[in-house]
Amino acid sequence: MAGNSLKKYNQIYVALLILFIISVLGPELADILGMEGLSRMALILPTAFGIAIVKAYMVAAHFMHLKTEKIYAPYILLASLALMFVFFFGVKIDIMAAEGHNWEKPYEEPTGSAGHHGDSHHDHGEKADDHH
Amino acid sequence: MAEVATADVAHDDHHHEHEESFWSKYVFSTDHKIIGFQYMFTGIAMALIGGYFAYVFRMQLAFPGSSVPFFGLVSPAAYNSLVTNHGTIMIFWVAMPVLIAAMGNFLIPLMIGCDDMVFPRVNRLSYQIFLLSAIVLIASFFVPGGGFGGAWTAYPPLSAMAKYNATPFGAPMWLIAVTLEIVAFLLGGINFITTVMNARAKGMRMYDIPIVIWMIVIASMLFMASVGPLVAGAVMLLFDQTLGTTFFDASAGGDPVLWQHLFWFFGHPEVYVVLLPAMGIVAEVMCTFARKKLFAYKMILYATIGLGILSFFVWAHHQFISGVDPRAAYLFTTTTLLISIPVAIMLFAYIATLYGGSIQFTTAMLFALSFLAEFLIGGVTGIWLGSSGVDIYLHDTYFVLAHFHYTFFPIAIIGTYTAIYYWFPKMFGRKMNETWGKIHFWGTIISFNCIFIPLFVLGAAGQHRRIYNYQHFPDLAGADMQDMRVFATISLVVMLLFQIPFIINFIVSLKYGEKADKNPWKANTLEWVAPSPPPHGNFPDGFPEVYRGPYEFAHPDREDDYWPQNEPGNQKPKT
Repeated sequence: MAGNSLKKYNQIYVALLILFIISVLGPELADILGMEGLSRMALILPTAFGIAIVKAYMVAAHFMHLKTEKIYAPYILLASLALMFVFFFGVKIDIMAAEGHNWEKPYEEPTGSAGHHGDSHHDHGEKADDHH
Repeated sequence: MAEVATADVAHDDHHHEHEESFWSKYVFSTDHKIIGFQYMFTGIAMALIGGYFAYVFRMQLAFPGSSVPFFGLVSPAAYNSLVTNHGTIMIFWVAMPVLIAAMGNFLIPLMIGCDDMVFPRVNRLSYQIFLLSAIVLIASFFVPGGGFGGAWTAYPPLSAMAKYNATPFGAPMWLIAVTLEIVAFLLGGINFITTVMNARAKGMRMYDIPIVIWMIVIASMLFMASVGPLVAGAVMLLFDQTLGTTFFDASAGGDPVLWQHLFWFFGHPEVYVVLLPAMGIVAEVMCTFARKKLFAYKMILYATIGLGILSFFVWAHHQFISGVDPRAAYLFTTTTLLISIPVAIMLFAYIATLYGGSIQFTTAMLFALSFLAEFLIGGVTGIWLGSSGVDIYLHDTYFVLAHFHYTFFPIAIIGTYTAIYYWFPKMFGRKMNETWGKIHFWGTIISFNCIFIPLFVLGAAGQHRRIYNYQHFPDLAGADMQDMRVFATISLVVMLLFQIPFIINFIVSLKYGEKADKNPWKANTLEWVAPSPPPHGNFPDGFPEVYRGPYEFAHPDREDDYWPQNEPGNQKPKT
């Protein structure tokens, strides 16, 4: 039994290594081929982020034993994950907002280029506004 | 589901019980009952401190500037510190330890029919961390600058910088104490969930679990899932206080509203974390003393789960006037009004349980019934406060204060008394005196209402919270308003005095109370199968098997009006 599970752990470790190599190669390849726009996203998203999710699942399921736990344990984990998103989206609209509905900010945002001449300072401010 | 997960390894050293010293038996015990008592007595001791704080600052409000008996003159800084620590103690060091930790520890193994928690040493560690947190909090009152005075919600920038709150040591110590307390309850909560899921008696299916156990488990899950942001926020705030970071400092790029989100994302589910065990205790007591089956067991269970899920979507109703996005205010008003539905389902189910029952008005039953009435007032006023428009006027007034005392007092105080009067025979093998119990009940309930009904009126009249002396505000200094403050304060003193009969009754009954047999209330659940008080290992005659649900009262096929879960009947044992 013990030898068996050790073998399984080793297999998963090797699988994680291979997935890691793919996740590094994907974005590198996109750079080498000089991909831009949609095709670049189509390559990078599944190789970097998609594989990261697969790896996280493998670690949680096997190394953290969620696969052998009773079903409520993974449910609690998934619920916590979902609540993290609830929290993030509930908070995002309020936090670090540079403008609001019924309030205005009487001071100017520091731009980080305050030591330079006035024109570029002004440009910077406009750019930041566009961004919002 | 049938296996009994015992903690044999951890218990090997307990097999020679006669050799145990006082220290190993009562202080470093891994027995769930002893740990439950440790939590209970620590909680009661902290409740005395919290009650004393309330007495001191209420006296200051009623008779501003005069010396308070047993305290002396109340300075503004002392007033802030007293108010802050009254709230903190009553929620984190009274409601949580007594309702969840003490009752959970005592009841879970007994009610599901096993010998102990599945992780007894984690359980012991949980209490030790909790005790440490209480010591840190109490120590914070005696450091230079005094205890933290920035309200139990600890909003920055007041809480973040010593130059504002003037408590350079008190504020970080308060924060560390709260965080330690949370660690203690995470350990306890994991233990509760794992025990109930793995160590139930043979034959006990999901729907045979007593409702109070379900509620403690769901409360533990809510706590686990909500507490992460607060711990993260507490570390950030501690860094702001001590290391000079600026997470919550708007003048240096931080955002103080972020703390409010982190706090209330935990803070609102926390209300239900303490509510649910109290609701469960009340359900047990009402079924036993109405001799009726719990009405709509599954409906209550599903409503509880729905309540738990919804409780994660309402937190920003505490922040309607903190400058949150108005679109979010619509959303959070809606969810807040929605959450009254599952609570209403539960209250209606409880009332339906009473309908047609043969009700016995024992002290425990009286407390359980008063829970329904008082909590209803707290719940209904919550609907007004949950509407963002009304909240703009009522926010931060005594109306809010009276509202949440009408929820927390039933939960923390009435729920605790219900449990103690009901399970005292099981805990200590003797009954408490009923006459003194009833005197305690009426004195407590009447004076409680006399405290907080005037505060509703004062709040609606515009009296703001966290003000040291209302005589400095011409609009709030009128004689009529001051009369109500004096009335509330006198009622508080009366209520505190009425706790003396309880304490005396408790101590005297420990030694001289009427001896109780195994099942003095003729109830069905498994804890009444064990001897009173249960020995180490709980069930010396072998672990009980379960044949039916926990509330089979007045069954038509049976002469006795109760049918214990473990008694084999005409049905075959379920597997």
